[in-house]
Amino acid sequence: MTTLQLTAVGSEGFRVTPTLSDFNLRLVFTGSGDLNATGVLNDYLKLVHEEAIVLGLAQVSCDFTQLIFMNSSCFKSFVVWIDTVKNSDTRYQIAFRTNPNLPWQRRSLEALRRLAANLVTIETIA
Amino acid sequence: MTDSDDARALVSLTLSFQPLANQIGPLRALVSDLCKPHLADADGLSRLLLAAHELLENIVKYSTGGAAEFHLLLEAKSSGLRVRLRTKNRAAPERMADARWRLDALAAAGDPIAHYDELIRDSAGRRDVSGLGLARIPAESEMQLRYTTDQDWLILTAEGSANERMTG
Repeated sequence: MTTLQLTAVGSEGFRVTPTLSDFNLRLVFTGSGDLNATGVLNDYLKLVHEEAIVLGLAQVSCDFTQLIFMNSSCFKSFVVWIDTVKNSDTRYQIAFRTNPNLPWQRRSLEALRRLAANLVTIETIA
Repeated sequence: MTDSDDARALVSLTLSFQPLANQIGPLRALVSDLCKPHLADADGLSRLLLAAHELLENIVKYSTGGAAEFHLLLEAKSSGLRVRLRTKNRAAPERMADARWRLDALAAAGDPIAHYDELIRDSAGRRDVSGLGLARIPAESEMQLRYTTDQDWLILTAEGSANERMTG
């Protein structure tokens, strides 16, 4: 039986909540990813990668629809994570779900997609 | 009448403060509240707030002490809205050198998005600092970023345009 070891984490004004379904790990991000969130997010994405490898996941979905903002340090945490997956023997897809009312998301995530177009997909939720 | 002499200030904010991390969110919210009534679309506001946030974080992270300054000017011109953000803070010599290096490279780059992508690729293997905040401003906010220095003061100016909300 596949059991998720990851738990929800957060800092002031920021939270990530994981759920697992059919080899698809879904991470729901809420609040604002600013200076308070950087360390938490950096450590958490390392755990996400370890969990994805152990569980043999096909995809990790990042739901940004309730994420108000993400600073460049948090963005850098995603760069490192995606680069780690890119250079891993065991790869999985990374899908981002975005909110059309938060236009920064599309701009920021397009840069991540350009970093690894074969791994990263972006979906806008109407 | 030329575009330069028909400017009408819609928002003008000048702030001198001791920068702290927990002030960035409220200041960003203030900028949003002041500018949102004048902007035609969410994209213009989003770009402005991203630039304001990165500039404010920059002074929180790298000020060496004492007061820093934050200036916001939103002007209506015949060609549309002009936005100017300016920060001024004291910086340590090594930080000043790093900022100069990054900003000179940014100014020399023909395409800010290609330059940003290159920085992202270069930073991927580095676990220490982000180094992406300033380059993110022209790449994602479509604002021009320039700098000047005055002894140990670093002065950053971001300028861009947006569509004005039509009223009446």
